[in-house]
Amino acid sequence: MIFDLRAAGCAASVLASVLASLTGAPAMAQTLSLAVSAPVTSIDPHYHTLSPNQSLDAQIFDPLVDMDATAHPVPALAESWKLVDSQTWEFHLRTTNFHNGAPFTAEDVAFTLDRVPRVLNSPGSFSIYTKAVTGVEIVDPHTIRLRTSGVYPLLPIDLTQVSMLSRSIGANPLTEDFNSGKNAIGTGPFKFVAYKPGDRIELDRNDAYWGAKPAWEHVNYRIISNDAARTSALLAGDVSLIDAVPTSDYVKLSKEPKVTLAQIVGLRLIFLWLDHQRDVSPFVEGPNGEKLDHNPLKDLRVRQALSFAINRPAIVSQVMEDSAIPSGQFLPKGSYSYVPDLAAPPYDPARARKLLAEAGYPKGFRITLHGSNDRYVNDAKIIQAVGQMWTRIGVQTKVEALPWASYVGHASKLEYSAFQFGWGTSTGEASNPLRALTATYDAAKGLGTVNRGRYSNPALDQLIDKALVTADDGARETLLQQATRMAMDDVAIIPLHQQKNIWAMRKGLSYTARADEQTRAIDIRPVK
Amino acid sequence: MSDVAAVVREETPFHRFVHEFAESKLAVAGFVVVAIIAFLAVFASVIAPQNPYDLAQLDIMDGRLPPGSVSADGLTFWLGTDDQGRDMLSGILYGLRISLTVGAGSAIIAGIIGSALGLTAAYVGGKIETGIMRLVDLQLSFPAILVALMILAFLGKGVLNVTLALVIVEWARYARTARGAALVERRREYIEAAECLALPRWRVLFRHLLPNCMPPLIVIGTIQIARAITLEATLSFLGLGVPITEPSLGLLIANGYQYMLSGKYWISFYPGIALLVTIVAINLVGDQLRDVLNPRLRR
Repeated sequence: MIFDLRAAGCAASVLASVLASLTGAPAMAQTLSLAVSAPVTSIDPHYHTLSPNQSLDAQIFDPLVDMDATAHPVPALAESWKLVDSQTWEFHLRTTNFHNGAPFTAEDVAFTLDRVPRVLNSPGSFSIYTKAVTGVEIVDPHTIRLRTSGVYPLLPIDLTQVSMLSRSIGANPLTEDFNSGKNAIGTGPFKFVAYKPGDRIELDRNDAYWGAKPAWEHVNYRIISNDAARTSALLAGDVSLIDAVPTSDYVKLSKEPKVTLAQIVGLRLIFLWLDHQRDVSPFVEGPNGEKLDHNPLKDLRVRQALSFAINRPAIVSQVMEDSAIPSGQFLPKGSYSYVPDLAAPPYDPARARKLLAEAGYPKGFRITLHGSNDRYVNDAKIIQAVGQMWTRIGVQTKVEALPWASYVGHASKLEYSAFQFGWGTSTGEASNPLRALTATYDAAKGLGTVNRGRYSNPALDQLIDKALVTADDGARETLLQQATRMAMDDVAIIPLHQQKNIWAMRKGLSYTARADEQTRAIDIRPVK
Repeated sequence: MSDVAAVVREETPFHRFVHEFAESKLAVAGFVVVAIIAFLAVFASVIAPQNPYDLAQLDIMDGRLPPGSVSADGLTFWLGTDDQGRDMLSGILYGLRISLTVGAGSAIIAGIIGSALGLTAAYVGGKIETGIMRLVDLQLSFPAILVALMILAFLGKGVLNVTLALVIVEWARYARTARGAALVERRREYIEAAECLALPRWRVLFRHLLPNCMPPLIVIGTIQIARAITLEATLSFLGLGVPITEPSLGLLIANGYQYMLSGKYWISFYPGIALLVTIVAINLVGDQLRDVLNPRLRR
C-alpha cells in the first residue's frame, strides 16, 4: 500500500514537471519559502494580541480596514466608511467570499465583533479594539453601522487589528479548531493548509482573492528563531526571504551580491522608564552608596540631564549598526501625528552635568538600570551603552539584564527605578502610546495601563481626553502633537531610537517593507 | 606501607610525588600553564591595560575594533574590543579571575562538604548512610546544568550565587568518592587500633580516615575545578551567570557569538582560546595526578 502511494506520488510529480515544462512555467517558482523570527502562539486571529500572530493572520484573514506599509488606514473588507452622526460609523462592505465559499456579509462582521471578547483563555484579548463598539446595526448585507458611546474617531483604526471570521464556522468557535485548520477560514490571499507549531505554517493561494493576485501558489511560512540560523538559511537558499535581519549581519548582507534588502523605519520605539512615583526609589542611592530620603528622578532637571547624557547617534551606529534612527518622540517621520520639529534630544554631557548640579547633585548619584536581554534588538547592549554614558556625567550606573520572562514580571510590579522598554505603536498614531504609556494610571478607564513609570500630569491627561473625542482628523492631529510635545518636554520617558524593520531576500524578489513588522507573502513579488 | 618504602630509599613522599609527577613532560607543561594563568588572574588589575568592569573607562565608540587598533586616548587594543568598546585582553584577564575564583572556590567548598558527608556516611553507616547516599543518587540523577539553571533562576544572578549553585551541583561527586574510599579504609587495622584506643569518633574520622582517603579526592578535585569552570562559562553563556557589566570568559564568548558570521571573530575567539587552554592545562595536571596517586599503578 505504502509502495503504491509512493509510486503514485512519483508519477504525479513526474507528470507535474512534464506539464510545467510544457507550459513553460517552472513549478519551483510558484512555491515561496520564507522564514520569520518569532513563533506564533495560535492560528486563531483573536487569541493573542502578539505581532507574530498578527503577521501570520494577515495571510489568511482580512480586517475591515487595513494598514498600508507606512501604517495609514486603507480599505480592505470595507470599501468605504464614514461618520453618519457623531457616535455612529457606517461601513460599506466589499462583495467577496470566504475560503469555504460562504459570502462575506454584514452578518459576519456582527458575528466577529460578538466573538472577539469571548475567546477562552486569551493571554492578550483583542477586545481592546472592539470595546468601543456599543451597538451593531445591520442596514443591508453590505452595510453595517457601529455605534460608540461618545465620539470615538479611532474606531476605523482600532478595527485594522480585528480579522473578520465567517459565521459559517458555527457559533463559539474554539481556538483549537483554528490550529487544526477547521476554523482557519478567512477572506485573505492565502488559504490555510497545515500548522506545525514552532516550525512552519503551509499556505495555498486563494485564487478568488479580491485584491491583487498573489505571485505564489504555495507558501511555506517557516519559523527560525535563531538569528544565525535564519541568516544561514537565506544564504544557503533554503528560504527566499527572512525578516528581522540581525544587526550584526546587516552590513554583511548588504554587500552580498545574491541578496537584496528591504527596510523601513518601524513603529517600535525603544525607550527608558524612570520612577516618577515613589519618594524613595528602590535602585537609587547617594554618590557614596548612602540611602537618599528623596527621589532625584522626580526632578525634571535630573530627567533632562539623564536624557542629554545619552549619545543616541553613537548607540545607533555602534550598537544598532545603523539599523535604527535616533528618536525624540513616539512615531517615525511620515506617521499621522508625528511632530515635525521635535528632534531627538541632543548629546550634551556638559549641559547634563550642569543640570545635575543645579538640581543639587554635583557629585551625581548611583542608580541601577534594568532591562531584558532577549526581547528587543540588542536590548542588553543598549542599556550597557547607556550605563557608560550616565556614568560619565557622574551618575554611577549599574546595569542588570534579565531574560524577558522574569524581567517583565518585576517591571510590571514597578520594582525598578530606571528600566528599558519598547513600544510598537500598532495603530500608527500617537493616541495609542499617549493613552497607554503616559496618561495617569487608571485601570478602570483603560488609561495608562502600561505606564510603568507611573508618570502623571493632569494637563497632559486633559489634552489626551480632548484628542480622543475630537472627530476632525486635522484638529485631532494638532492636539496629539501638542500632547506628544508636552510628554517629551517633561521627559515622561527617555526616548532612544526607532528600530528599522529589515527584510533580506534572494536577488530577483522584491518586498514592500512594512512599518508594522508584518511579513506578508502577497507583497513579496518576483522582479519583472 | 608505601611510607616505609620511601624511608628506605631516603626519599620523602613529597619528593617521590614530585619526581613521579615530573615524569610526564605534558603534565609539567600543564602545571606551568596553570601557574601562569593563576598568576595572570591574581594580578589582573595590575597587568590589564584597562579595568573592563568600570563603565567610565569604556567608550562605545571604540566598539568592535580589530586586534591591534588604537583608541582615541592612545590605548592599544592588542586583542581588539567587544561591542561595548571593552579591551578584550583586559576582559580576558579579569574574566580568567572570575572563572578561576568561581571554579576553584566552588570545587573546594563542594569538596569539603561532599567529603565530610561521604566519610560520615561510610564511617557511621546505618540510616545516616542511607539518607546521605540516596540524596547523592537523587542529585546525580539530574543533569548538572539543569540543576544549576533552576537554582540560578530562583536565586538570581551574581558571582556568589553561581558559586553556590556549583557547590550544590558538585558536592555529590565528592561524597560518593569519599564514601567509596572510606569503605575500604575503615576495615583496615589502623582504624581498628584507633578505635581500640577509644579515640573520639571525629578524631578517628578526620585524623585517621580522611588523610588516607585523600588521593582519590585530590584527583576528583582537579577534574571538578575544570568542570566547574566549564559549567560557569556555560551558565554565563546562557546569560544566567555573572552580571553583563562584569563578564567572565563564558559571557565574553556569548557577547561575540553573534558577530561570528560577520567576520568579527576576535570577540569570541580569544576568550574561547583562553578558556580552552585553562581547561586543557588543568585536565593535564589532573590526569597525571590520578596516575601518580593511584596505588594500583604504583611501580
